Amino acid sequence: MRALVGAELLKLRTTRAWIGYVVALFLLSGIAAAALAGGAAAFEIDSPEYQRDLVSTSVSAGLIALLVGITLVTVEWRHGTVTRTILVTPRRARVLVAKQIAGFLVGVVLAVLAVVVVLAVAIPVLWGEGGGFVLDAAMMGRVGRVVLAAALAGAFGVGVGALLKSQTFALVAAIVWTLVLEPLLRALLELVEREGAADFLPGQALGAIDGSVEDALSPAAGGVVGLAYVVGFGVLGWLRLERSDIT
Amino acid sequence: MIEVERLTKRFGSTLAVDDLSFSAAPGTVTGFLGPNGAGKSTTLRAILGLVRPTAGRTAVLGRPYRELERPAQQVGAVLETFDAHPGRSGRNHLRVLARAAGLPTSRVDEVLALVELTDAARRRAKGYSLGMRQRLNLAAALLGDPEVLVLDEPANGLDPQGIRWLRDLLRSFAREGRTVLISSHVLAEMAQTVDEVVIIHRGRLVRHATMAEVEAMAAGAARVRSPDAERLASLLADAGVDARVLADGLLAVSTTPERVGEIAAGHGVVLHELTAERATLEEVFLELTGGAGEQ
Repeated sequence: MRALVGAELLKLRTTRAWIGYVVALFLLSGIAAAALAGGAAAFEIDSPEYQRDLVSTSVSAGLIALLVGITLVTVEWRHGTVTRTILVTPRRARVLVAKQIAGFLVGVVLAVLAVVVVLAVAIPVLWGEGGGFVLDAAMMGRVGRVVLAAALAGAFGVGVGALLKSQTFALVAAIVWTLVLEPLLRALLELVEREGAADFLPGQALGAIDGSVEDALSPAAGGVVGLAYVVGFGVLGWLRLERSDIT
Repeated sequence: MIEVERLTKRFGSTLAVDDLSFSAAPGTVTGFLGPNGAGKSTTLRAILGLVRPTAGRTAVLGRPYRELERPAQQVGAVLETFDAHPGRSGRNHLRVLARAAGLPTSRVDEVLALVELTDAARRRAKGYSLGMRQRLNLAAALLGDPEVLVLDEPANGLDPQGIRWLRDLLRSFAREGRTVLISSHVLAEMAQTVDEVVIIHRGRLVRHATMAEVEAMAAGAARVRSPDAERLASLLADAGVDARVLADGLLAVSTTPERVGEIAAGHGVVLHELTAERATLEEVFLELTGGAGEQ
């Protein structure tokens, strides 16, 4: 399994697509951090809550990790590399698990990068306002939870990609779901006074982990629900892959 | 060793492979022949665990491909599709496969040299010519120094030198006691390479024969000229030989010249001409497959 995960990470490093993901990550988290840091009134900036909110602007790492996770599978169908992948590893479940682990690790790397970007943007602003940045245990916990949420998003993406197969469809579906459908669904659930159910939607659950969603599940419960999505979509994706004739 | 037992594969309403059984033995190069659309690729992909049979089973080295312990080291495959990412270099493509198969990177450079792709190895695959793509596919197949080779139309895109190189490689594989199964829609292309042929048409087995048998089928005809053609024809017919009078004194006979000579001498018939007629291998192939290739 170690070798398979290594092969998946090598696949990612040996085409140029990763450059696009890193650029998107820098833009999304950099802009979000600049907006929050720049809009802060002086009396807020030393409060731990504010600073933790600042760190949460790195959650864009989760969305990018989700997209990378999806493409880990869909790119193989798109370019026909799935043939060689399955020839080398005919037990298809092993391929998917290796990709999930790779997606998880990619999520970790992206989230750490995003936190670095956010801090690089925010700390000079905070200093300029006469404040400082407090790296206490609570802050470290917040960073850790941002990383975990992005990692789960990466692994979740692998299952989504395996289930949907088509690269364009899967990427568009993931973005539309995250930005439009899930918020819409949440609003509808609120209308019928079932907002508790909304907590179990994937974006809400992952948001509960990193704290970017309010009135959500506890981080631990969010983690359990997030893991359930990883496993559930992993199984659905595996069923689709297992039944596919590779021609 | 490759075994196919009563394999059937249906795609929707299309029957691609229909109750097909054959085997390819170690130490031989087995040609897998059929017109385009005969079901060759589907059969090969079923052998390789890529396509799920509707019925029947396939085995490589005694077990289904999916259950092989180290597939890359046991079976090498070249399929008709190019299976490298266009944005990845040939060398990195092989590095990925080597990593997944637990092979050292040094092996990547060995196979690149073997297929003479070293110079282009660091370029992205999208710029590769058809021949280079085929060489990269071959390199991927050879990476694990496998016991069994399965090749789908591997000569496509290779130049004459490349084809000769491939032929020598396959012969040496067979000499070492390994198994080679190679598909083609052109029999003549394989005549010098294969020991046995498995011919299929519309998903069904037409014939499994040695190459020597196929060549004997091609050899069994003669042309005879005799001033006594009508009598010779009836003598041949009595001996159970199919003979047609073509024109003045000219006969087309479906047996060897030796046999015609013996019958003519036995009855004192004068011959003016006796020529062996060889059907081309292609004619044999077309006859066996009913001349009905779906081109």
